[in-house]
Amino acid sequence: MTPPQPEYPFFIALAIGVTGISVLLGSPAWYLNIALLLLVCGILVITRTLHERGFYLVCAGEPLVVACGIMNLWAGLFSACMLAGIVYGALGLLESQKDLIPFALFCGGSFIIALLIQVSNHVPLALLVIGGLTAVILAIQSVRTYQFRKQYTGA
Amino acid sequence: MLLRRCTRGLCLISFILLSCALILDDMAILFAGGTLVAALLGQYLLFDKGLREIVASVDIERSLSRNPVRKGTPLQVTAIVTGRGSSRMQVQIADLIPPHTILVDGVTTVTINPDPSSQVRQLSYQIVPDIHGTQPFSGVSVTVGNLFFEDTVQLTRERDREPVLSVQPSGFFEPPVSELSEGNLDSRKLSVWRGTDIHSLREYSPGDDIRHVDWKISAKYGKLFVKRYTGEMSSPPLIILDLPWSSVPWPAKEFDRMISDVTGMVKHTLQTYQYVSVLLISGPNILHLIREEKNLSRCISELREWMHPAERQDHFYHMKDRSDLRSSVRECENGLQQTPDPGMQAFYEAMRDRYLTVLQYQRVPAFSGQVARTLSQVTITEAYLFSLGCGDTSHIRQLARLLQSQNIRVHIRIMDAAVAREARP
Repeated sequence: MTPPQPEYPFFIALAIGVTGISVLLGSPAWYLNIALLLLVCGILVITRTLHERGFYLVCAGEPLVVACGIMNLWAGLFSACMLAGIVYGALGLLESQKDLIPFALFCGGSFIIALLIQVSNHVPLALLVIGGLTAVILAIQSVRTYQFRKQYTGA
Repeated sequence: MLLRRCTRGLCLISFILLSCALILDDMAILFAGGTLVAALLGQYLLFDKGLREIVASVDIERSLSRNPVRKGTPLQVTAIVTGRGSSRMQVQIADLIPPHTILVDGVTTVTINPDPSSQVRQLSYQIVPDIHGTQPFSGVSVTVGNLFFEDTVQLTRERDREPVLSVQPSGFFEPPVSELSEGNLDSRKLSVWRGTDIHSLREYSPGDDIRHVDWKISAKYGKLFVKRYTGEMSSPPLIILDLPWSSVPWPAKEFDRMISDVTGMVKHTLQTYQYVSVLLISGPNILHLIREEKNLSRCISELREWMHPAERQDHFYHMKDRSDLRSSVRECENGLQQTPDPGMQAFYEAMRDRYLTVLQYQRVPAFSGQVARTLSQVTITEAYLFSLGCGDTSHIRQLARLLQSQNIRVHIRIMDAAVAREARP
């Protein structure tokens, strides 16, 4: 008997969560969420043997995250975390307990982004903060990479 | 750093989402795009951490079969590579051979298992230095990749480039002269004939090249003195390309590799020596000679015209040459003396008679004459022979012997290693 794939529990949690939130919030576009959920389910099943499975799952899952985010930002956060779990599981990145740390960090990062968006009134400011943070991290990383290469190239 | 196709796609999606969020002023789309950027950034940081750990664990220890080594002679290198893997990371470590050397045998790349424990691998390969001087190894190349990223780090610290290869020049040696001409036995010892630096001076003796007379010193002492040179006088190697027979199937992959090797060597030779000579043969048929070509584009276009499988008019049909036949006769005679069995004796006698008959009627093949005439048109001290080695390889042995008989060093590059061993003269 083969062990259960880690992406399926996340998908079940996503399905229950999205359905439950749609019902609880009484969203007028609830059928859209269900349709996008079925799309994710279909892609999850169809792409089992494909090499770039993670990419297809992200492509199928992002519309659901947007739809849930329009309904409620925290519902969007939940679906983003579950989608990440599905993608990580499908790519084999959740094989040990240690692998849960990057996943937890992603959830934490997403929570901070959600908080930032919650307190922002308009997109440009939040986008500027996200872009600025990304640029700072990449700049620091570039300096570190330069030092690292310098150390190992003996220059 | 190289982004894999999947990562490039994810970057594009996040860019589209963030652009849409800005245009539509929609927070939900911004959230989706922002989380995707966070995920990619996180994966990048994880990859970078893994890469640093792997690179820090890499160590190499090389040992050479001999050092110093003479230019153009093969050198065996054994390298012990130590490194650590990481789960879900593909690690490849390549030993970078010194510049101006050619890899002739073995592999320089090892793959490390995705296991965090320290692993030891051994590399063994053969290189041939092309140019004299001191040449350290180029370092170690570590390629690390995961599902999202790939990166290569070249370690070129001093300890990654050790040991320094000392390549000595190979000069033109004076042929031994008879005892009568100089009157002592020491004159039989080989000495450097022509080169770039003056080693010493000696008195002129009849037969010496008048161009080597040092007129200034001769005028000073009132006697003729000739210069003795040290160092090498470089002349480019002759590149011989043995094209496969078009009427039988040939391995396309090896053929492409051979073409690329020959083209690379032609370019390198032109850069180093300013001209190059290429002889194209197909079996025992001489097709074309590119003689002392100085223009790279002209040389490449000529090669393009000729480098394809050719029709062979003459064949050797696995013919043994005279020295092979003589050694076979000797083997039969040895066998005849050693075996007491009358049956075996009769067998050896029959074989010996057969070989002697063949030897008696065998004529020097026209190919030998053609090669000799071709070689007389170029000045060479070494030759590189490239062949696929498929089918009959007797012409390769014949050609190699012919070149060696003219004091030309021959380097045979056969794409199929098994055939290479068989064809070695």
